Amino acid sequence: MQKAIISVLGKDRPGIIAAVTKVLFEQDCNIENVSQTILQNEFSGIFIVSMPGNLAFDSMCAILEKGTAGFDLHFHIKPMESDERSGPAVETEPFVITTKGPDRKGLVAKITSVMARHGINVTNLQAVFKGGNDPGANIMIYEVDIPIHLDQASLRRELNETARDLNLDISIQHKDIFRAINRI
Amino acid sequence: MLSNQEILSVLEMLQNENLDLRTITLGISLLDCASDDIRRFRGAVYDRITTTAENLVEICDRIGEKYGIPVVNKRISVSPMAVAGAPFAPDQLVSAASTLDMAAKSVGVDFIGGFSALVEKGLATGDRALIEAIPAALTETERVCASVNVASTRAGINMDAVLLMGRKIKEAAELTADKDGLACAKLCVFANIPQDVPFMAGAYLGIGEADAVINVGVSGPGVVKKAIDRALAADPQMNLRQLSDLIKRTAYKVTRVGELIGREVAKAMGIDFGVVDLSLAPTPNVGDSVGEIFQSLGLLSIGVPGTTVALAMLNDAVKKGGAFASSNVGGLSGAFIPVSEDLNISEAARAGHLSLEKLEAITSVCSVGLDMVAIPGDTSAETLAAIIADEMAIGVINKKTTATRIIPVPGKKAGDQAFFGGLLGQAYIVPVNNGKGDNRFIRRGGLIPSPIHSLTN
Repeated sequence: MQKAIISVLGKDRPGIIAAVTKVLFEQDCNIENVSQTILQNEFSGIFIVSMPGNLAFDSMCAILEKGTAGFDLHFHIKPMESDERSGPAVETEPFVITTKGPDRKGLVAKITSVMARHGINVTNLQAVFKGGNDPGANIMIYEVDIPIHLDQASLRRELNETARDLNLDISIQHKDIFRAINRI
Repeated sequence: MLSNQEILSVLEMLQNENLDLRTITLGISLLDCASDDIRRFRGAVYDRITTTAENLVEICDRIGEKYGIPVVNKRISVSPMAVAGAPFAPDQLVSAASTLDMAAKSVGVDFIGGFSALVEKGLATGDRALIEAIPAALTETERVCASVNVASTRAGINMDAVLLMGRKIKEAAELTADKDGLACAKLCVFANIPQDVPFMAGAYLGIGEADAVINVGVSGPGVVKKAIDRALAADPQMNLRQLSDLIKRTAYKVTRVGELIGREVAKAMGIDFGVVDLSLAPTPNVGDSVGEIFQSLGLLSIGVPGTTVALAMLNDAVKKGGAFASSNVGGLSGAFIPVSEDLNISEAARAGHLSLEKLEAITSVCSVGLDMVAIPGDTSAETLAAIIADEMAIGVINKKTTATRIIPVPGKKAGDQAFFGGLLGQAYIVPVNNGKGDNRFIRRGGLIPSPIHSLTN
């Protein structure tokens, strides 16, 4: 057996998952993890599968395209080398960083460059830019892991300064507050 | 993974609805500071407070920042001074109040409560001295708050103490006449005082409590009001069952904030966590008012017919939500109706919608009592005592906490305005109807026995 990661892109419509997994089943693949999301009208899915050792990645891609013909899906497939994350494990705490403010180019790039400089990993990002100056219509929500030993004061200062330059309201809050308020 | 809606609704509460942690109150026992030497006692009290509370403000600010929720007030409550300082004379107790004031200032807290006595069944020597000291103590200090428990459901109503308090309130008002009787704004008279209130001016650390404890007061009238407004905008036909459920769920969310942050502060200080007191405590800011909730519910103003039932529903829903959200709910937990501290309630008093009589009536279903009510300066001590006694009776008979914080504003009459400043706000002075004439009942003194606990009707 060999382990592979398959990404799927295409216009969203009913039946995509059924079609893809039918092919995987026929090829004797075992699904280990799936995540899918829909942005506007576009479907995107990531499958981690273990597949028979004699099946070549190129031919697997062709089989998937053929098996899902009519859905107009794009596949990319690559081997998974190991389960280990790159770099040494760092102890972190989960925070949520939220920004609101008028839309302009480069918002995500500028905010994430500060995060990257401090070694902060983004675990989930949701951003909506409907354009215009309505702060409520232009929102970024980053779920991040902040290393425990990081100098939080300087991180906050830098994020606040960057946000001010971009005319954004920014909040940096430990994730537990959202769990505490919303979940029983 | 959190949903966007969960994150955005919390931000909305923080940014536009005045959600905050109203107070973290560190209770400190002073009982082991006991001495018959006032200098040694004052030294021990000062050291005890400044050592225990040394990092309180810094820790509260740091943890508040971590969660993005401001801890607006950091406060201290101490053991009742009438017990801790029982051997001392009134003037010595006034000096002990100065020590509390200095200690509070040194650690950066805005109020310190516990200049208190518990006299529901009788007055001991230390109690008499403390009550004697209250007017001067509250005049000469800035941050000290006093409270006296004169009644309880188990003991009855100590009418000697009630009359004494009527007189002391008058004295305190006269001593601070240049500030509209400000000293009285820091003095509560209680029935059934809880041992763990974090809110001022009634906070003190009960005799049954540990050496030190963290109690948390959460507020959020603005959050409740906006939740009602939003729900009614989406469905104008919502009935009261649905609305009370909505208030309950909102109170749950607000209380969770106090639970989370309070526990973390307690842990960081190495002190036991006490209770979350979920009280809708207004401030004199637009959008942070209990009075506005009545209007959102559909009443013309707080004070009009329908107010008592609306407050009963609100108070009950708040308690239910709070009780579910925290494993330790205590203190007062309910809705406050402090007249001067709530712009909307103050305006209702000015417009004549809210009278002293209606205020008294609604205290039978809310969490405190006649709170921050300014009355004419020429109200006699006996009339004042009679108003207090009426309020105590409501608490004693209904097995609940009630209190009075009444300010007879020197030199001012009904309709005038009194200014107390800051969180204490400003108020229109409400008339005391039928307050003139002899009141022999109040002068008789003695203990009104505790009520029967059966035959309820």
